[in-house]
Amino acid sequence: MGTNFGIDLTSLLQWNQFTVDLVSFVVKFAILAGGLLQIPPVMVWVERRVPALMQRRRGPNRVGLFKWRLYGLLQSLADTIKLIFKEEVVPDGAHKVFYHLAPVFCVFPAFLIACAIPYGPDLNIFGYTIPLSVVRVDVGFLFIFAISSLAVYGVSLAGWASNNKYSLMGSLRASAQMISYEIPLGMSLLPIVLIYGTLDLGKIVEAQSSFFKWGAFTAPFSLLIFVICMFAETNRAPFDLAEGESELVAGFHTEYNSAKFAAFFLGEYVSMFVLSALASTVFFGGWQVPFVPYESLVAMLGSPNIAAIVGVLMLLLKSMFFMWLYIWVRWTLPRFRYDQLMSLGWKFMLPIGLANVVGTAVVLAVLRFK
Amino acid sequence: MEVFYFVPEVLFYILSGLILLSSVMVVSARNPVTSAIFLVLDLFFVAALYAKLDAHFTAAIQVLVYAGAIVVLFVFVIMLLNLKPEALRGVRFSVGEAAVLLITLVGFAIIGSELARTAPEAVIPGNLGAGAIELAGGNTFVVAMRMFTSYLWPFEMASILILLAIVACVMVAKKDKVLGAAHHFRGGSPE
Repeated sequence: MGTNFGIDLTSLLQWNQFTVDLVSFVVKFAILAGGLLQIPPVMVWVERRVPALMQRRRGPNRVGLFKWRLYGLLQSLADTIKLIFKEEVVPDGAHKVFYHLAPVFCVFPAFLIACAIPYGPDLNIFGYTIPLSVVRVDVGFLFIFAISSLAVYGVSLAGWASNNKYSLMGSLRASAQMISYEIPLGMSLLPIVLIYGTLDLGKIVEAQSSFFKWGAFTAPFSLLIFVICMFAETNRAPFDLAEGESELVAGFHTEYNSAKFAAFFLGEYVSMFVLSALASTVFFGGWQVPFVPYESLVAMLGSPNIAAIVGVLMLLLKSMFFMWLYIWVRWTLPRFRYDQLMSLGWKFMLPIGLANVVGTAVVLAVLRFK
Repeated sequence: MEVFYFVPEVLFYILSGLILLSSVMVVSARNPVTSAIFLVLDLFFVAALYAKLDAHFTAAIQVLVYAGAIVVLFVFVIMLLNLKPEALRGVRFSVGEAAVLLITLVGFAIIGSELARTAPEAVIPGNLGAGAIELAGGNTFVVAMRMFTSYLWPFEMASILILLAIVACVMVAKKDKVLGAAHHFRGGSPE
């Protein structure tokens, strides 16, 4: 190292695998973060229009641009602007630091997990291979569970720091629920690891190349457990006791308003999307187009880059189905009682999850023994 | 790429500094919740250090088990006890404590400098690079192979130990109920 610590700026400008990785990382992260920020406004709109559709109402349809109504799509924009510019009120007895940090703790894990999901097959630009996930982790599953287990801190800190009994009760409920359902959620993915023999999400998607190799067919019970736990893990209906309005005002974010309240929204919707994308990746072939293997897709479209774009759209389509499912279920099933939720988690989901793991292992051992 | 050779080293010192800083904050913070959150940060930075050493499996397990599960229970207990910061004594040293602290620090300095002097010879440069592990089948595979072949016996013993602890916990938690039932059976009233 010289006096300038060996920094040679001219070598930064030469393209090689390292600089391509660096630049593509920044670009991919920017695109991903920008995309994730668009989810809450759109989902809020969907969450108002879809129940209106189900209940034969109109829903918000007024806010538009000049003479175009756009089906009320700009209502979300108006709401976002309102939330950002509202006055911030911090409760007197709140713990100032943690009160402000809690929304950050809620948003950060969701964004970090989104980085590990493979959104499409590799891009090929000027001879450099660019994988379409922000980071390629070879222990993808463990990474996702490790980071998602940190989401509890946001919720519990928010409730505790607000210095409000409803907030604290809501946060205790929410965090107990998240911890309880994390276990069957992990259990439900173990058979997938056993079947495909890897923890790498990218390799799992590649293994699901034909329609009947999808996780939904190879591990149907896992899909069932995963989907149920997915609702509990994001505190969504029918497991949204954390914000039971009639008992707890609004749960852990009772004392939050303006932009910090919006941050909780962001965290909730992004983690919904992340779990939807994970479910699509693990059980519905990720970016694979049904009935069309990747090789023939490339041959059909003539370029791996166009195939990659098709793959991304495919994954988004599959994730959208799960996002729709969230709202569908919310307006179909009534809320559970708290003891029902806990006994469902510990006495029903966990034993079934364990049996599923053992059963899959036995079947695989028998198949391998033959 | 010659330029970036110094990056891992700088990263190591940044992470070590953050680990030391958050460790000090864990023991010196007045508010127990602050301590717990700094403990989470501490464990998270240690995991980052593992990840920097290409031990992705260990890093993920570190966050999953310690930061994600154990400290959550700490936070729960602290919140439920609702300790006030003023209920805890601040950091005040008596002369004797200060002397002990000083001696400990000097001892650490001596051991640390000795380790730093002998470390390059002590560490056997094994085949532990990212590429070698990738060739051997990946992080998880390598750990699993070792754990279920060479170290199967200690691994299973540890799991039995944990099982014993769980059973003991359940018994301790059930104690009151059992005693109460016994009282009731003898015609006494459970208090």
